[in-house]
Amino acid sequence: MNEDIEATKARSPRRTLEVVVLLAFVFFGSSWHDVVHAADDPKQIVMEAQKRTDVKSQRYEGLLQVFDAKGKVSDKRWTLDRIGAHGDSKMVLRFTAPAEVKGVALLVVNHRDRASDQWMWTPGIERDRRIALQDRSTRFFGTDFSFEDMEERDVDQFDYTLLGDDTVEGVACWKIRSTPKQSKSSQYTRAVLWIRKDNYSIVRIDSYIKDQAVRRLVYSEFVNIVGVWTARSLQMSDLRRGTHTRLTLDKLQYNVTMKDEDFTLQALRRQ
Amino acid sequence: MSCERRDGREGLEGTRFGVALLGVLALMFGAATSPASAQGIAQRGFVDAGGVLFFQQAPNDSARLVGDLIAPEELFFKPAPWVQFAAGFAGRANSHEQVEHSWRLDIRDRGALRPALSARRLTATFTHGPLTVDIGKQFIRWGKADIVTPTDRFAPQDFVNVIDTEFLAVTAARASVQWRNESFDGVWVPFFTPSRTPLLNQRWSVVPAGAEGIALFDASGPLPKGSQAGVRWGHIAGRYEFSLSYFDGFNHLPNISITPGPSPFVVGIAKTYPELKAYGFDVAVPTAWLTLKAEAAYATSTTPNSDNYVLYVVQLERQAREWMFVGGYAGEAVTARRALFTFAPDRGLTRSIVGRASYTIDANKSAAAETAVRQNGEGAYLKGEYSQARGRHWRATATGALIRGHPDDFLGQYRLNSHVTVSLRYSF
Repeated sequence: MNEDIEATKARSPRRTLEVVVLLAFVFFGSSWHDVVHAADDPKQIVMEAQKRTDVKSQRYEGLLQVFDAKGKVSDKRWTLDRIGAHGDSKMVLRFTAPAEVKGVALLVVNHRDRASDQWMWTPGIERDRRIALQDRSTRFFGTDFSFEDMEERDVDQFDYTLLGDDTVEGVACWKIRSTPKQSKSSQYTRAVLWIRKDNYSIVRIDSYIKDQAVRRLVYSEFVNIVGVWTARSLQMSDLRRGTHTRLTLDKLQYNVTMKDEDFTLQALRRQ
Repeated sequence: MSCERRDGREGLEGTRFGVALLGVLALMFGAATSPASAQGIAQRGFVDAGGVLFFQQAPNDSARLVGDLIAPEELFFKPAPWVQFAAGFAGRANSHEQVEHSWRLDIRDRGALRPALSARRLTATFTHGPLTVDIGKQFIRWGKADIVTPTDRFAPQDFVNVIDTEFLAVTAARASVQWRNESFDGVWVPFFTPSRTPLLNQRWSVVPAGAEGIALFDASGPLPKGSQAGVRWGHIAGRYEFSLSYFDGFNHLPNISITPGPSPFVVGIAKTYPELKAYGFDVAVPTAWLTLKAEAAYATSTTPNSDNYVLYVVQLERQAREWMFVGGYAGEAVTARRALFTFAPDRGLTRSIVGRASYTIDANKSAAAETAVRQNGEGAYLKGEYSQARGRHWRATATGALIRGHPDDFLGQYRLNSHVTVSLRYSF
């Protein structure tokens, strides 16, 4: 498996690399060798973080725990399949619990040059619905993630500024501000990323609307799976509502054999 | 146009057909219980118990409180990556004679009453590359609009309650190909499934003023016999998606004619389902501020006393944080008016402004309001809903519907049917 990853890296030197939001953030880890330092160039840091997480496909079972402001918890489970390279990938997310959302599915088709296309399949009415761009600030099934948080973004769609050094839980990090370019459509005005210096894993992202931090994503429980440092736990906090959602990844696999035709609208309605 | 009889034989044939299918399914799922294949099985189901309280009596229906119970269960089995089997069954009971007393398994689900036990879905799905073939009883939904769906011709509905409907599956062979941004869909339906119309002795069959004492009986002839077919081409682009479709079959909504009964106080209501060809178009254009959806179909019929008409709908959607708004206009242009009476909720909701707003309160609670107002002001309804989940399995929903209008208006005729509904669902 490691050979596969290294071979992929060798075959595909990337012109454009991507900032990956939410699910693809789990890729933000790094192998422990072959470090190419460009410590003063924030874009190079993000590109390096991206490069170290390049895989052909991904599969996992996710447990979503939504904590409301009073601490009450509700659970949701899904399975996720993802195929393709960062920013040019396709993803199918299918809910498996609770029972009333079982079978609801989301297809995300990411593009390098623009926002993703997203469709949601609702088995209760046997129809798919395209999630429009303006809908992407909506909370994803009552969680603290928004639909926009489910997509990958191309690194060239953002400008980066190195804000300096910082520590997160005692680990040295680069603190980088990413700002969407004018061509980029996003609910967020900017985001601040914390990237570990030792392995290029993203450990925290604060997302802003104007000058207000509205969401905070924190990565933890890093494990090395086939050479990819992966956060097994992601916690998204809605700072305005005082609620948070924890996503725990189980049975995570990389480079599973998948077919492109399983990532279409047709495939989405196959329950 | 030839016809087939809708009598007791259909029930018998349906039962035999059902037993055979059940045997196949038992083998299928029996095989699936082996540990090797257990991972390919999925299921979902629920039990929903509810009650409807109508505020007023109707001239032909004094019942104001109706209890309803439905328990559907669906099973999915994927023994290999290229094939999947799906089976769905539902049990049903009702306090107001809306459900058959027989416990036979109704495969075709074409009777006047809701079946006590029905097969909602029996499908085998085969995939090979970009090709998907679905064979069996299945739900087929075309179109993009929500208010009225003029191109959705393979989707008969249960109109026992006209403003709270559910879809009925059809038996069909469907082949779909998706290649890059193009999709092609071909459907063949060997026999006809009509929409279930309101029961003649109940409040959603409105008796004209002055005719309250007249008893109605079903004088319908046989259902149309013959297959139906349709094709649809869809294109997806970055800033829009659209589809063109063609349907050749029968309207699942009937024309109505009145026939004399054995006495002056008994009148027969005959439903006939006209042949129909429909040329459809639908489009969705997501913009930076809202999503525009439009859908239209030109329907023509060679059956005498049937209209030719264009149905169209334009709707706008906007989702903002926890709010979802849908609003639009549904219209109709009749190019040849020949029918005297029809039961056509799709056309009945035209010349209307329709809107829906929903609000997700949190992960477990939501509220929604929906309204339709005829442009001439002669009919309107307003529906509000609050829903709350508890734990992993339970959900309670309360709905209120207010209907007002003129007796001659499609919506207004139901002005005595304002109601509240409470339901409790256990999902598993």
